[in-house]
Parts: sequence; C-alpha cells; structure tokens
Amino acid sequence: MADFLPQGGTEAARLVMQEARAGSATGLILIGIEGAPVTDLARISVAVAASLREADLFSVVAGGQAALADTDQADLFARRYLLAPAEFDTPSLRRGLEGLLRQLRSSTAPLAIQFGLADPPGAFLALIRTWIGTSQVRTIDGAWFAPDTDRALLLARTRAGGMDVPAQETATAVIEAAFRAANPGPARLLVAGPAVFARDAARAIKGDVHRIAIVSTTLVVLLLWWRFRSPLVIAAIAAPVVFSVAVAVVAVQAAYGTVHGVALGFGATMLGVSVDYPVLMIGHRKRGEPAAATRARIGPAFILAVITATLGLAAMVLSGFPGLAQLGVFAAVGLATAAAATWWLLPRLVVAANLAPVAAGNPAWLLRVERLRQGRLLGLLPVLAAAGWLGAIGGPAWEGDLANLSPVPAASRALDAELRGALGAPDVGQILILRGRDPEAVLVAQEALLPLLDSLRNEGVIAGAEFATRLLPSAAVQSARIAALPDPLTLAARLEQARDGLPFRPGAFQPFLDAVAASRGMAPLRPADLAGSPIAARLDPLLFQRDGAWQGPVVLAGVSDPARLAAALAGHRGVVYVDMRAELGGILSGYTARAWRWLGWSGLAVLLVLAIGLRDPMRVMRVLGAVGAALLVTVAALTAAGVRLSLIHLVALQLVAGVGLDYALFFTRRQLDAEERARTLRTLVTCNGMTLLTFGLLAACQTPLLRDIGVTVAAGALLAMAFSFLFAGQAPSEDLA
Amino acid sequence: MAGLAIVPERRATFQETRRFAALDQPLISTGHLLYRRPSYLAKTTDWPQPESLVVDGGRLVLTEGNAPPRVLDLGGIPELRTLVDAIRGPLAGDLTALRRAFTVTATGDAGGWILDLMPLDARAARLLQRAQVSGRETEVTTVRLVQANGDEQQMKIRPLS
Repeated sequence: MADFLPQGGTEAARLVMQEARAGSATGLILIGIEGAPVTDLARISVAVAASLREADLFSVVAGGQAALADTDQADLFARRYLLAPAEFDTPSLRRGLEGLLRQLRSSTAPLAIQFGLADPPGAFLALIRTWIGTSQVRTIDGAWFAPDTDRALLLARTRAGGMDVPAQETATAVIEAAFRAANPGPARLLVAGPAVFARDAARAIKGDVHRIAIVSTTLVVLLLWWRFRSPLVIAAIAAPVVFSVAVAVVAVQAAYGTVHGVALGFGATMLGVSVDYPVLMIGHRKRGEPAAATRARIGPAFILAVITATLGLAAMVLSGFPGLAQLGVFAAVGLATAAAATWWLLPRLVVAANLAPVAAGNPAWLLRVERLRQGRLLGLLPVLAAAGWLGAIGGPAWEGDLANLSPVPAASRALDAELRGALGAPDVGQILILRGRDPEAVLVAQEALLPLLDSLRNEGVIAGAEFATRLLPSAAVQSARIAALPDPLTLAARLEQARDGLPFRPGAFQPFLDAVAASRGMAPLRPADLAGSPIAARLDPLLFQRDGAWQGPVVLAGVSDPARLAAALAGHRGVVYVDMRAELGGILSGYTARAWRWLGWSGLAVLLVLAIGLRDPMRVMRVLGAVGAALLVTVAALTAAGVRLSLIHLVALQLVAGVGLDYALFFTRRQLDAEERARTLRTLVTCNGMTLLTFGLLAACQTPLLRDIGVTVAAGALLAMAFSFLFAGQAPSEDLA
Repeated sequence: MAGLAIVPERRATFQETRRFAALDQPLISTGHLLYRRPSYLAKTTDWPQPESLVVDGGRLVLTEGNAPPRVLDLGGIPELRTLVDAIRGPLAGDLTALRRAFTVTATGDAGGWILDLMPLDARAARLLQRAQVSGRETEVTTVRLVQANGDEQQMKIRPLS
C-alpha cells in the first residue's frame, strides 16, 4: 500500500512517510490466540513460538519467557557500571547497604542475595527497569496472556520490512501453519500489525479487483444483451473498451513504472463510464443509416462530452497525491482512448455488421415520460433543500485523518490497537527524530536531550519516552563512568566504613569489589558489539541507519500538551518533532487543497469548452445546472449519511461531473424528432444502468477507498441522470418538432 | 496430606528466622498468615519491618511499609512462583499441584509428617535448593526453605483459634 501514499514535502513529512513505508515498527506482528481453555491456549502459544523461532524469518519472537533471557541478563549484569549510573562515595554506599539489609528482611530477599551483594548501589536494578518496559501481560504456563481476557499473546518482528508484501505473505503463512500444527482445536488465531495490514490490503484489493472485473463485466454484458439482443453489438461495444483498458494500463505503466492494484480495480470500473461511448454511438444509429451520419448527428454532443469528462479528470492527475494521480491518468487515458476508438474504429464495425438497436419504441411512451418535465421546477426542491441544509450546518464535514483513508478496514485497526495496548508495544504516534553521522553521534545527541525530557516528564507534558541511550549510553558516557570508578583499595576502604555497625560479614561484598575492578578494565559497549544478540533486537528499532545517516527516534508516550512540547524543543537544533497524526493530517489537507485548486481550474476549462461548443448561454447554464444539482445533492446525501468527505470523495465527484455532463449534453441537443429523443433516452438509461452496476459493485468492496468511490459515483450518477433529464432536456411545450 | 484440603480458611501467626551467609547474625521477624482456598495467601509481617505479601492465583502484590504496592506476575518469575508454591501447596493440600513443581518425598504419619520438596524448574533450583514442610494432623507447623547458596529461612507457624 505504501507506494500509494504520498512522498511528503517537508522534512518531517518525508520522515513520517519513510517510517510508514519501511520503519522498523512496520515489521511487527502481533498475535493473539483465544477461544479455548487457558491451559490449551498456553500450550498452543508455546508451540507456535517454538515453530516461529525455528523458521528464521523473524528477528524477534516473544511470548512467554522472562523479559530478559539468562544470557542477556548476564551480559547486562557484567556491564552494569557502564550502562547505568551509580554512586561510589561512602554515604551512598552506606545507603545502599542499609537498603540491602531491609531487602533481606523482606520477601524479595532471594533477589537481594542473587544481585544485591554484588551490586549495593543498585545499578543493575535500574538497568533492568529500563529494559523491561511497559507490558501489562500476565504469564500462565510459560505463555503471555492479555491482562483481562483469556487471550494468549505473542509478538514477532519479521526480518523483512513491513511493506515487503511477498515476504509478509510468507511470514503470515508460516504463522498460520505453526498455529495449525499446534493442534489448536476450537482456538482462534488473531494476527495484526502493519505488516499484516499490508498483506491484507493487498489481498483484499486483489480479491476486490478480481470480483469486480468478473461480476461487473457479466452484468454489463447482460444489460447490453437485454438492450440490443445481439452478440455482434456487444462485441462491437467491447472492442473500444478492451482497447482503452489496455492502453490505459500501458500509459500508467509508462508513467509510473508499476500499475497499482487500486488503480487497476478502479480501471475495471471505468468500464462503466467508457462503455458509454460505443453504446451512445450504436444506440443512436437508425437502422440502415450510414455510420458517418450517426456520427454527424451526435458528434457535437459526443465530442463535448469526451473533452469535458477528460478535463474533469485532470484535477485528479494534478492533485499530486501519487495513488490518485495514477487513477486519474488511468481514467483519462481510458476515456480518451475509448472515445477515439468509438469515433474512428466503431463506425466500420457497425457498417460491416449492420448493427443498430432494436426499434426505438412507441412515441406515446416517450411523450408520457417527457411529460414529467412539466413539473421540473419541483426538481429544484431537493437542490434548494440540499443547499439550504448544507449552508445551515456550515458545509459538509471533512476528513482530516489519513488513517481513515488507509485501505485497512477499521476492525483490523481496532484489533491492532487492542493487542498493542496489552503487549505494551509502542504505537508510533509522536516521536522526536535525531540524526547523526554514526551511532555515537546520535546517542550523544540524545543524552544532551535527557535533562529536557526529564523536566517535561516532571511537568506532565509527556508521560514517558523510549529511546536508545536509555538502553545503551554513548561510548563517551560509558568512558566517563569507567573513569569515575574508584580504585580497588579506595573502594574497599569506603565499603569498610559503610559497613560499620551493620551485620554484614567482612567478605560479603567481594563480588561487588571484583565487579568494579573488572569494569575499570572494560571498553565501552557499542551498538556494533551487540549485533545479532537478543539485546540488539530491542535496540535496533531505536537506533538504525537509513539513507546514509544514523537515526535515533525518541518515542514519546502520553503527550498531553503538544504545543508546549514543540516550544520546549524549539531551541534544540537537529531535533525534529514529528506528530505522526498531525503530520499525516497536514499532508492530506495539502493535497486536498491542491486538488480543490485544480478542480477550480478544470471547472473553468469545462465552462469554456461548453461555451464554445454550445454557443448558447441558456443551454450552458442548463447543462451546468443539471450537473451542479447532482453534485450538490450527492454531497448533501453523503453528509446526511454521516460520511466525512475526503480527497477520495472529491475525486469521485469529478467522475460524477464527467458522467453527468455526458447525460446533460445528450439531452440538450436541439431540434430532435420524437424518435431520436426516444433513442437518446433509451441509450442514456442504458449508460446510466451500466454506471450504476459497476460503481454499485465497487460500493460492496472491502477496500474502503474503492468503496467510497463506488458509493459516491453510483449515487451521483443516478442523480445526474434525473437532473439532466429534468433540466437539460427541453420541456414538451418548447418542443419544436 | 489429603486432610489439609478440607480446611477452607486458616489463620495463623508466624515467626520467621532467616540465616544468610553474608550476615553474622540471623534476621527474625513476626507476623500473621491468612490462607483461603484455593489459592489466596496473605503473609503480613508486623515486626520489625511491616510488609504485606498477598498472592491470589497468579498475581502477587507486595507492599513494603508505606511504599506503593508492587504487582508481580508469578508466571513470569518461575523462581518466585516456586517459593510461593512451596508454602501455598501444602496449605492447599493439593499434592498433584505440588508434584508439578517439585519432586515430593513424604515421611512420617498423621501425628507428625514431613514433606521434602525439590524444585523441578532449573532456574528455580538455582534459588531454592529445597523446601521442607512439616506438620501434624491438618496443621502445617514449620516451613523451611534452603537456598542454593546455603542461606536458610525457617517459618514457624502457630494456628489461631
């Protein structure tokens, strides 16, 4: 899905999109197992974790073992005086010993014996606390469980990036296979995470595209069969459409390198619009008439319709939103090609096979229908009501949250949030990004920020923060700590003083003295030394190389006052504060504004083309009035249904305008006899039916983006048909025939 | 042993003596115990250092003095779970549960019995070498825990009422 997202203009925006595309958080897979007795769930979870560890696709598989493995714990323990701060003066040591004695009296005595005698300053305890994090899981029979439901939890991170869809397909397939192999019985597997979303979205789009392509083609063919009763006519109509889809795919491929699944899905429904052209041509032909004559009769309306529809799509192309631009190019090229093929190719086919519709029908039927136009002023009522209501509520509601534009269904996002909360896995919302030449530079920069972060936490501006230097301080800090360690004799003397009057035996703290002496000879631990260890898996997402620079995000939790935070950071050079949601919203509104601007220009261009083509202000007004009425009532209906309008709806409305112009232009043709008017009405009803069928199907898609387009266009096309019939056509009293 | 399982609730006082290799004198404390079937155990130390330790199912809540309570997940800390099981298991009279965590050796008769418990979990065994629970009839009278390093903790239990 990532290639469907925009690049972003500002540095922060670029970082946000980069993070969304390839950030290490994107490889995270959250797994839940539920629906069976707890002991079964634990057994399944342990078995799944074991198979996943064997699969070697994952850099981390966590689901039940203690927060830190023994070897990790030993590593951290050995380096405790490098990695965590500690005081070695006599009063501090005395406080440490007193604390230790208290602990020996308490229920935590075993821990005091295990770690405390070797570490009276308590450096290791502080270190462990930073490594353990904020998970709320409980452990049952060696498996993690959610805090308040019987759901086993596992966490895995793929080695491949989250947007590497084939790799994610493999990873999730392995998870599902591991689950089935664990003899799950009635238990259910839940999987969430950005990587799973990417896969699900790709899968849903693929499924949608297949279904739509097949079903909508079938329905359109059935409709055409009902209308024309001739396989030859259907073949002739199919020719320009198939040709136009092929050309559109090639054009998008040439322009963008790849054709996105969404563009293809959308393209399949563009059939519903581009198929109008051959239908209009054949539908208007009189039996035995030379094709050129038909073309001459409908020519002006046909050409105007094609030009205005294609112009309308320009706004989509020029919005700059990459996915939409692809859709726009696809649609514009497809429409223009279908029109051109209809204009130059179809007449030959039509004449060769002598194709024409069945009889135009009984004129009495037509007159009855056209009599509806006598009351067309009543048609203004819904338009005025829509305008009045929209005005009263201050215009339609706008969607500012890019998340709601994502192709991920809301239910999946809710599951992700739930599992994430239980596991304490960070949800990247607000982060500070620091960069440097090498890891050390990044760590030093983070350390410079420490006092500020502490004071922000004390003021309650943030609840907490997770970042690399808390886990692994810079080599500079570690060296300083090593240099500050007292020599063995001094330390032994101080300890002796501190011990005075306490019941500790003389040799009790030998492990501590040994550890400090050993630490004096250690070299600082650097990120590179950790490569491949389980500790590295924890550190990697917080310190990584990208685009030649090293980055160290500070992941903030519980930001209560973003404005204060931004102000506090203003003085710090090189620190970029990124509020992912606000940033994404900003990116989105930028694109929406741009799309509006281009929509304005293309509207003007359409007006100009209509003025030149129709040469009659009254008819221009009637055509535009019909289309405008359809758009207005569609927007009002969507808003009334609780829909928040987005860029996607804007695009869909352009399509409605294009389709509506088709209808209005054909209805507004002058000096037609009853037979021709009947042909026009029947043909346009056929066109409208095809649009409703294809876009109506789109409305049943799983992909929210396609669904929004489907609903908007289907509703808009129906309204456009009604208003074009009422407003653009001539009233019976004006009939000159 | 099975007789223990009949008693739904027990209240008792205890005196605990801890001997550490690192200390040149034992640490003594006193307090009271409350056990409720099947898995609730509260150990309240009154002197010299107030502390409350409540285990309910898999959750352990430890409150030292006036400090805020700390909640620990027993499942995540096998060492601690074994320590708790060594005390709670005999009180519950659930031999099956005890056998899941320990090698159990029982000696004596109803008038005076001893359960020797050796932890099965390797990580737990590094901390707790063995536990010895003795009692008579349906009462537990002594729990003795021996750490791997030889440190020892002995709790004498006197039932209330």
